[in-house]
Amino acid sequence: MKFFVYSLVKDGKNILAGEFLYWQISFVYGLILWGERMNKLVENGKIIYNKPLSDDVNALCLAVPQVVALAQPGQFVMIKNEQGSTYLRRPFGVADVNKETGQLVLIYRKAGKGTQELSQLDSGAVISVEGPLGKGFSFKNEGRTLLIGGGVGIAPIIYTARHLGAEMTGPKPVILLGVRNHKELFWSDFVEEFSEKLVYTTDDGSYGRKGFAIDAVPDILNKYPDIRHIKVCGPTIMMKGIAELAIKQGIECEVSLEKRMACGIGVCLGCTFAGKSGKRWKVCADGPVFDAVEVFG
Amino acid sequence: MNMERLATNFAGIKMATPVMGASGTFGFGIEYSDFLDLDKVGAIISKGITPLPRAGNEGVRIAETPAGMLNCIGLENPGIDVFLRDILPKVKKDAPNTAFIANFSGSSVEDYGIMAEKLDVDGVDGVEVNISCPNVKEGGIVFGTDPKAAAAVTQAVKAHTKKPVIVKLSPNVTDITEMAKAVEAAGADALALINTLTGMVIDINSWKPLLGNVTGGLSGPAVKPVAVRMVYQVANAVNIPIMGLGGIATAEDAIEFLLAGASTVAVGAENFIHPDAVVRIAEGLDAYLDKRGLNHISELVGQVKIG
Repeated sequence: MKFFVYSLVKDGKNILAGEFLYWQISFVYGLILWGERMNKLVENGKIIYNKPLSDDVNALCLAVPQVVALAQPGQFVMIKNEQGSTYLRRPFGVADVNKETGQLVLIYRKAGKGTQELSQLDSGAVISVEGPLGKGFSFKNEGRTLLIGGGVGIAPIIYTARHLGAEMTGPKPVILLGVRNHKELFWSDFVEEFSEKLVYTTDDGSYGRKGFAIDAVPDILNKYPDIRHIKVCGPTIMMKGIAELAIKQGIECEVSLEKRMACGIGVCLGCTFAGKSGKRWKVCADGPVFDAVEVFG
Repeated sequence: MNMERLATNFAGIKMATPVMGASGTFGFGIEYSDFLDLDKVGAIISKGITPLPRAGNEGVRIAETPAGMLNCIGLENPGIDVFLRDILPKVKKDAPNTAFIANFSGSSVEDYGIMAEKLDVDGVDGVEVNISCPNVKEGGIVFGTDPKAAAAVTQAVKAHTKKPVIVKLSPNVTDITEMAKAVEAAGADALALINTLTGMVIDINSWKPLLGNVTGGLSGPAVKPVAVRMVYQVANAVNIPIMGLGGIATAEDAIEFLLAGASTVAVGAENFIHPDAVVRIAEGLDAYLDKRGLNHISELVGQVKIG
């Protein structure tokens, strides 16, 4: 909750100075009271659509207005298909939200039994959503942000791009996406409108630059010298490389981690790790977003 | 929910309901405050506390199994001093009306005595002695599989605290009633059973164990019939009250444990999936009492009809 208030206060600096004080006091005080009462919950949501975006990637849209009202970019939800055969909930990063309609979008790759079963569900079926969980990305009103996503790790980049490109007033983000091939360009439909520039790398060179996302970073930093922040979500090896590059160049970098977890709320301790400072962190409750220095520094 | 007919005194610990959050699945209770009314939780049983901070095991710690899960956390916790200084005051501030049971373990009989003494403070309503963690090399399960060692630990704890002492038993023994009787004779005020069953999962692609610690503790609905059987056997072997746990996901599950002889129950892995489970199950018990025309939850205890 502290983080939530903090980010809104920071956003508030964009508002005209006269309005700002009133805005800050009334809204933030309201949010504190509200947050004390509840900042996460379990909500059953009807499926609005569950459609393929490519051969093995699906977009799942759920009507969960209470979860959506609280969700921040970079947070995640734990979902359970009560009709399915899997036992535990599964974590999914919040891909996008529509605060007006109360709809939540999750994007997943059909990889295991749980996601295969999930992909069989039609509109109208009900999914249990627990969230929003964890601490998402932080936002500052100075400089440009480079958003980098790899594979289905691109999902949380969408809401983050919406926030930076449409809800905040600073420069639009540059977005760099690493995908397998030209069949995975569907991400453009979700993020292009929020971006200053959208760059792809593909594993096979079938679109954009051939290679890994990190290969495109130096050129982007040269072309956009106002980039002050990098936010990354993707495979660990990708985040590590980009984090090291960012740290070397003195650019603030946040990474979004993924680890096996049972609860998502900081009690099972399945997802803990030791940071570079020696402090132990819970990916679910202290993250999933962390300062890259603490993880890879 | 009719709180009067659910109110329970378990070995001297006063509880709003007979349904608790089990150690290791309920944090320190306050993590669940968004999902349930902590006033309606019978007791919060803390994550296992040890004399020194523990980082836990390396590698993968959680694996899903059919109708359950394996874990090999390895008692990660900040240690008794941080618990007493930082965590307990916060718990008593946020959940002042909920009974709090501190679960702890040590590496030696002396450790257990020292821990019991440190936990003999206001805010702790009882202690649960963990002699059955399957995921740590020293202590833990060693004390849980040898009746003499279990008795020695129980005596050491009893000698250093005025709080009710609950000893949590391992199912990974040939005859759990031998353990139960040894612990009762050593002065335990109550028993909790069962802890997790040791299990293993192998990744057939890498040919390696899936869990970082090779083996882990199985919990969830898969273990429930084993747990009910053990509660039934132990209830017939001892005179001290029993907290039953192992795979409880519904009020119906809890009722089985009560009929088998447990006077209270704890909910474990189910908290991970449905974080309101502890209160939902208490409400289900209340509805069952209504349906059966019973005046108090204690009327169910040990009432299984055999023969």
